[in-house]
Amino acid sequence: MPVEIPKDSWEGTVRTVTLGATSAEGGTRSRTITVGGQKTLPFMNFEQTAPNRPVVAVEIKERRPTDWSPLLLDVWGDAANDPAAWAKQAEAVGADLLVLALTLTDADGAPTTPQAAVAATKAVLGASALPLIVFGPGQAEADNELLLAVAEATKGERLALGICEDKNYRTIVAAALANDHCVTARTPMDVNLAKQLNILIHDMGLPLDRILMDPTTGALGYGIEYGYSVMERLRLAALQGDAMTQLPMLVTPGFEAWKTKESKVGQDVPEAWGDWAERAINWETLTAVALVESGADIVVLRHPESVRRIHKAIDELTISPEMA
Amino acid sequence: MADHTVTVGTQPVQVPTGSLLVEAAHRAGVDIQQPCGGQGRCGRCAVLVTEGTVRRRSTLRLSADDIAAGYALACQSVVEGDVSITVLPQEKIERRLKTDLTAAEVKVPAGYDPQAVQTVRRVALTLAPPNMDDQRDDWSRLLTALRAEGIEAARASLAQLRQLGRTLREGDWQVTAVLDTEAWDCPDCPARLIDLKPDHVAADAPLWGVAVDIGTTTVTLWLVNLLTGEVRAQVAEYNRQIERGEDVISRIIYATKNSRNGDHGQLRDLVLETINGLLETACKRVLAQPTDVMKATISGNSTMMHLLLDIPAESIRLSPFVTAVNDVPTLTGREVGLNIHPDATVDCLPGVASYVGADITAGVLSSGLEDVEAVTLFIDIGTNGETVLGNNEWLITCACSAGPAFEGSGVINGMRATSGAIEEVWINSDTYEPTYRVIFSDKPVGICGSGLIALMAEMLLTGVIDKGGNINLTLPTPRVRTGEHGPEYVVAWGSETAHGRDIAITRVDIDNLIRAKAAIYAGFTVLAERMGIPLETAEQVLVGGSFGKYINVEKAVEIGLLPDMPWEHFHFLGNTSVRGAYLGLLDKQARAQIRAIASRMTYIELSADNTFYEAFTSALFLPHTDLSRFPSVQPAVTT
Repeated sequence: MPVEIPKDSWEGTVRTVTLGATSAEGGTRSRTITVGGQKTLPFMNFEQTAPNRPVVAVEIKERRPTDWSPLLLDVWGDAANDPAAWAKQAEAVGADLLVLALTLTDADGAPTTPQAAVAATKAVLGASALPLIVFGPGQAEADNELLLAVAEATKGERLALGICEDKNYRTIVAAALANDHCVTARTPMDVNLAKQLNILIHDMGLPLDRILMDPTTGALGYGIEYGYSVMERLRLAALQGDAMTQLPMLVTPGFEAWKTKESKVGQDVPEAWGDWAERAINWETLTAVALVESGADIVVLRHPESVRRIHKAIDELTISPEMA
Repeated sequence: MADHTVTVGTQPVQVPTGSLLVEAAHRAGVDIQQPCGGQGRCGRCAVLVTEGTVRRRSTLRLSADDIAAGYALACQSVVEGDVSITVLPQEKIERRLKTDLTAAEVKVPAGYDPQAVQTVRRVALTLAPPNMDDQRDDWSRLLTALRAEGIEAARASLAQLRQLGRTLREGDWQVTAVLDTEAWDCPDCPARLIDLKPDHVAADAPLWGVAVDIGTTTVTLWLVNLLTGEVRAQVAEYNRQIERGEDVISRIIYATKNSRNGDHGQLRDLVLETINGLLETACKRVLAQPTDVMKATISGNSTMMHLLLDIPAESIRLSPFVTAVNDVPTLTGREVGLNIHPDATVDCLPGVASYVGADITAGVLSSGLEDVEAVTLFIDIGTNGETVLGNNEWLITCACSAGPAFEGSGVINGMRATSGAIEEVWINSDTYEPTYRVIFSDKPVGICGSGLIALMAEMLLTGVIDKGGNINLTLPTPRVRTGEHGPEYVVAWGSETAHGRDIAITRVDIDNLIRAKAAIYAGFTVLAERMGIPLETAEQVLVGGSFGKYINVEKAVEIGLLPDMPWEHFHFLGNTSVRGAYLGLLDKQARAQIRAIASRMTYIELSADNTFYEAFTSALFLPHTDLSRFPSVQPAVTT
C-alpha cells in the first residue's frame, strides 16, 4: 500500500535578503547572494523546494589574528597576513561570501583607525568579487566609528554591517540606511529579543529585506541545543505569519566552535579524544551542520575543510525528491 | 479667502477661514500653552467657545460633557465662521483628562452600625460602691456593671487587675471600659478588657482604631473613628526595611542571615519604627495619643507579616514555598510592639500563600470582585504585582516580582505620590520640551509612579526613547544627554526644582520600569491563559496601587502596563489593601469574608509555570513585542 506523506502548508514566507551589488546595481561584485524565501521548514523538499540554499561565509581578519588556533593559522598560512590574499584564498576554497571581522587594535595595540578599516575593506573588495559582510570589533564605540567609515567608503556595495545589538544599533543602522547596505542583528538566544531588535531596526526605516538576524548560537556541547531550538521556533513563527521573525538567519558556528576546549587544546587531553585537527574540524562541522538543519541561511566558518564539508552536506540535504 | 472675526476674551481679531484657534489667540496676544506640540494629544489647550461654532478636528481629549459645555481644543479647532472664545486661566486649564482615573473616595460602609458589627466596644459604667453589706470584690462589681451593658463575660490581664482597684476608686466608681467583645479566632471567649479609665468620657468622643497596609515599599495607615466609621487621617511612608533590600526575597535573605548572626528582629524593628512613626503623625492630626488606639487591623503580603511578627520567613523563599502561618491569631499591641494601647487588639489579616498575602485577600474584598458576575481582572500595581482574575464563582491569583519602581523607589529621581511629586508629564513632539504637573507644589522634588508612567509613554510617543527603552541621544535637545548614570532625559532643570538639582530619568530607571511593567503584564496574561480565556473576556479591570489620587490609564496602556481595553473598563481603586484592612477593622462580617476569600482563591505559582518567562520577555518592550495586542497604541508608535 502506498504511503501518503502528509504535507504541511504555511501561511508565512521568509523574506529574501540579497547581499552584494553588481556594477549594474551600483556595486562592483561579480555576483550577488540571495538568502531566505523559504515557505516551509528546512529541507522539507517534498513539500516545497527552498528557492535559496543556505550559504557558507568564511571569516577573515584585516590582520593576522593572535587569538586563533594554530590549526587555523597553519591552514591559511601566509594568506592570513594580508586581507586581500586571505579573501582570495577563501574564495578559492569555496566561500559563497566573506565576513571581514575587524580587530579592536592594530598589531601595535593602538585602536584600529577608520582609515585602516576602510583600507582593509577596500582591499578585500578589490581582491575578491564575493559579497561581503563586515563586523566591527564588538565594542560599541569602536563598532560605530569603524562601521560608519566603512559604510560611507563602500556606498552601493550592499554589504551587511554588524553586529547590531539592542543597546547599540542606531549608528550602524543609520550608516546602512544612508549608504545602501544591510545589517546583521544579534540577540542572545531568545525569540522575543530577536523580534524586538528587528522591530527597533525596522522602526528606523531600514526595510526588512535588508536585515539578517543572528539569534546567537553555542557550539556543540556548549548550548547548541538551546540555540537550535530558538532558531527552530523563530522559523516556525515566521512560517506561521509573524512578520518580525520572517528574516533570514546568520549564525557564527566557526567563532563558537573554535573557542571550545576540544578545538583549542591539542595537548594533555584524553587519548580517546583522538587527532586534534580532525576533532577541531569535526567540532566546527557538526556545529554548523546542525544549525543549517535548524534553518540557518548563512553559516560563518573558519576552516577550509569545514567549508568543503558543509557544502557537501548542503548538497545532499537539498537534493530534490525526484532526483533522490 | 474669507476672514472671520474671532473674539478672544474681549479682543476681536480677523483671521482667514481654516485658521486654528491657537493662531487666532496668538494674533490676539494670547499664547495658549501646547505641551504636546499642537497634536491634540495632551488636551491642555482646551478653550471655551462661548459664541459661534468651530470645526473640531479631534476631540480625543474631550468628554461628551466637555463638548456639550462648549470646550474645544485650540490646537485642533478650525475657524470657519465668527466665533468668541474664552481662554481659561492656567489653573483651570490644568483640569483632568477623561483618561485620568481618580481613586474612589473612601466612604463609610452604608448603614455602619458599630453595635452590630464592631467588636470593640466602649462602655461608660457606674458601679455600686462597696460597703460592709456588699463586700463583693472589685472585679465582680465591674462584671455586674458590664452585664448591664449586655457584656456577659469578660477577662482581664494581670496588669489590668493590678490597676483595677485604684482606677475604680479614682473615678469614684464611675469608669469607662473598652473591650474587645469577639475575637475571630475565639468567638465564644469572654470579652477581653482592653482599657479601663476613671470617669466617663463623652459618648461621642472618638474611639480610635487603625487600618495598616504594610507594603514591601510603602506602608499606609488610616486612623479611623470606630464609632462612626470615618477615616480621620491617612498617612503613608516608605517602609524603612527598604534599606535592607528592595524586594521580599532580599529581605528574607537579610533576615535569615541576621538571625544566624544572633541579631534577631532588625527588620521587625524597622517596620515597627515605620508604623509607629505613621501612628504618631496620624494621631497628631486629630490631637489623639497613639495609646488611644484600641484596635489595629493589619494587611500586607505574607513576608511583611512574618517580618513584622519576627516569625522566620525563610520557608517562603525556598521550594516548596510555604509560610509559617497564614491565619495569625489575635494579638495585642504589646506583643506586636506597636505603640498603640498595650492591650489593644491587633488583627493580622489572613493570606493565601507565600506570595499572595493578606494584601490581596483584603484587596479582593475592597474591590468587590467576589460579588460580581462579570469576569474581572484585579491588578495591584505594587512591588509584588499581585493579580486576581475571576468573579463571584471563581478566583485565580498569582504574584510576580515587579519591584518598587512604580512606587517611585529604585528610580533615581523617584518618590512617593506626595507633595512635590511630578504626577503627569507631556512632551512636545517638536521641541522635546516637557510640561509637568506637580502635586501640591510649584517646584518638583521628584517623580512618582503615575508621573513615571506618563513620562515613559510620552518619551515613547515622541521618539525620545525607542520601543526597547533606549534614549535617542541624537535628538536636537540638551535634555537628552549622557549623565553620571548613563543616558538620560532631563524632565526639570535645577532652576525649576525644589532642591536645585536636575530631575532626570535615566536609561537604568527606564529598564527598571520596563521590567516592572513586563512582570505585571506577564502575570495577568499567564492567568488568562491558564483559564483558557482571552484577556479581553474581562469586562472590567480594577487597578490598585499607591499612585496617589490619579493614574492616567491611557498612558499605562501605551507603555503596555495595562491591557489595551476601552478606557471605561478600568476603575482605579487606590490602595486596595488598606481599604480591605479598613473594612475588616470596622466589621466582623467583612473580617469573616476576607477569610472566606482566602480559602476560595486558587493560587498559581509562577516560578513553576514555564509560560511566564516567555510572557515576560515578550512584554519587555514598549508597549509589547506583539504589537497586535495593543491595537490602540499601534498607530502612535508605528513609524
